[in-house]
Amino acid sequence: MITVRNIEKRYGNAPVLRDLSFSVKAGEIFGIVGHSGAGKSTLLRCFNGLTTYEGGSVKVMDREVADLNEEGLRELRRDMGMIFQNFSLMSRKNVFENVAFPLRIWNSRKPGRDPEITGRVMELLELVGLAEKRCERVQNLSGGQKQRIGIARALALNPKILLCDEATSALDPKTTLNILDLLQSINDRFNLTIVVVTHQMEVVKRLCHRLLLLDKGISRCMGKTEELFLAPPEGLKDLAGEEYALVPSGANIRILFPREISQQSVITDMARELDISFSIVGGKLERYIDDVLGFLVINVPDEHFERVCHHMRQKNLHWEILADDNNAFQRPQ
Amino acid sequence: MITTLFSALNETLYMVFLSTLFSAVGGFGLALPMILTGPHGLRPNAGIYTALDTAVNLLRSFPFMILMIALIPFTRLVAGVAYGNTATVVPLTISAIPFMARLVEGSLLEVDPGVVEAARAFGASDSQIICRVMVKEALPSIILNLAVLAITLLGYSAMAGAIGGGGLGALAYNEGYIRFRADIMFCAVAVLIVVVQCLQSGGNYLYKKLR
Repeated sequence: MITVRNIEKRYGNAPVLRDLSFSVKAGEIFGIVGHSGAGKSTLLRCFNGLTTYEGGSVKVMDREVADLNEEGLRELRRDMGMIFQNFSLMSRKNVFENVAFPLRIWNSRKPGRDPEITGRVMELLELVGLAEKRCERVQNLSGGQKQRIGIARALALNPKILLCDEATSALDPKTTLNILDLLQSINDRFNLTIVVVTHQMEVVKRLCHRLLLLDKGISRCMGKTEELFLAPPEGLKDLAGEEYALVPSGANIRILFPREISQQSVITDMARELDISFSIVGGKLERYIDDVLGFLVINVPDEHFERVCHHMRQKNLHWEILADDNNAFQRPQ
Repeated sequence: MITTLFSALNETLYMVFLSTLFSAVGGFGLALPMILTGPHGLRPNAGIYTALDTAVNLLRSFPFMILMIALIPFTRLVAGVAYGNTATVVPLTISAIPFMARLVEGSLLEVDPGVVEAARAFGASDSQIICRVMVKEALPSIILNLAVLAITLLGYSAMAGAIGGGGLGALAYNEGYIRFRADIMFCAVAVLIVVVQCLQSGGNYLYKKLR
């Protein structure tokens, strides 16, 4: 759907994007993650030509964005919806007219367009659950409702790709979850490719199939969301802000719960089979798209350490030993 | 005295209405290329923007009195005569066009850049963005600025007497001040106060209604 090769982007002399290459597959939800100023939003705007790039190639639906003329860019943008952090709705138009706006600019010369537009707008408002607010002015809506209108507007022209620029950053946690559920159901129903730019880890975990971690315009890591979060590389750990309370004696072992063992009772099985006691000192279990995944850190007394290691190897568990002095985990040999 | 005041009010409204109309159109026409070529515009062009920007500043620097006299040959060309109420409309308009251009530019700059970006992201063309997004969103603020423009022109029109124009300002000065008719002077000023109030209230009302 989108293929980026060695893209380079500068503002004056300051590089914003440096030698990035990746691709977004049709039908997937792809996350672009990073701190503010990492170049995420700029990268997103290269996809629909809202900003230009100096080097490399961005191919969207087999079209090289930099080669398109004004008309070609407009055609491309018609196939790409976009939603924004601050919703960017027109304050003087009501809900209905905001959603109708993309339809009106693309059908201005078509006669008899009004019933068609009305039908489509009502369909979209039903989809986002705000049909009864159609005559309301947008100022009177809550943030979550505004973003729903933004989503309805972005879907008006039946786009193939939806770009989300920090779409939930201005919303409270509960509203964020509602919007994420809506985006996910849209992805399921219409097989719409979605590119999500965010700094919010819960958004990535709950929504994205794959992610790209950006840091100062450089790709730090890329891959499947669950794999990256279960064994996070340094950059992602910073962003996720993970910390563990450590017990000074004994060995701290982190057991990962990837998808294939998330339903098994790993901890209790181990305690029963080895007939030992150990304490759980930390961990994180979270919902990833449709499963609960994560890790637990257990503290094992030194005398049982070898037996526990042996057991975990037998059971084919994913685990790491936490070094005494710092937070870095070491892979078992 | 009532009839004198009424005919003076009539002349004032005639000058203010026509000059507001023409300078609103002219100012709008000048503001659009400025917004388009400005640093954050849809088609940034430093050369064109700097030229327009400088021209606007230059014209706004002229004291109205000097501009009015300097424009006499031009006024004769456009209005056919160099003096009188109709002739006054020409320098009033010329002086107000750059002022209105600044006001409209300010109104259009207030439009949320995010809304403009959203329109671009849905494939709107430049003309659609200007007409259907920027002007539409900025309309209440432009209306309010129209009231500011009309009131400013009302003030300038008082100087029309210098080139043989009439109106309340000329009445207050020529009849009231010079001929020691304090009553005429006060009445003319009182009518001017009422006119200014009406213009401003009308602008405020429309602003609230349209917003």
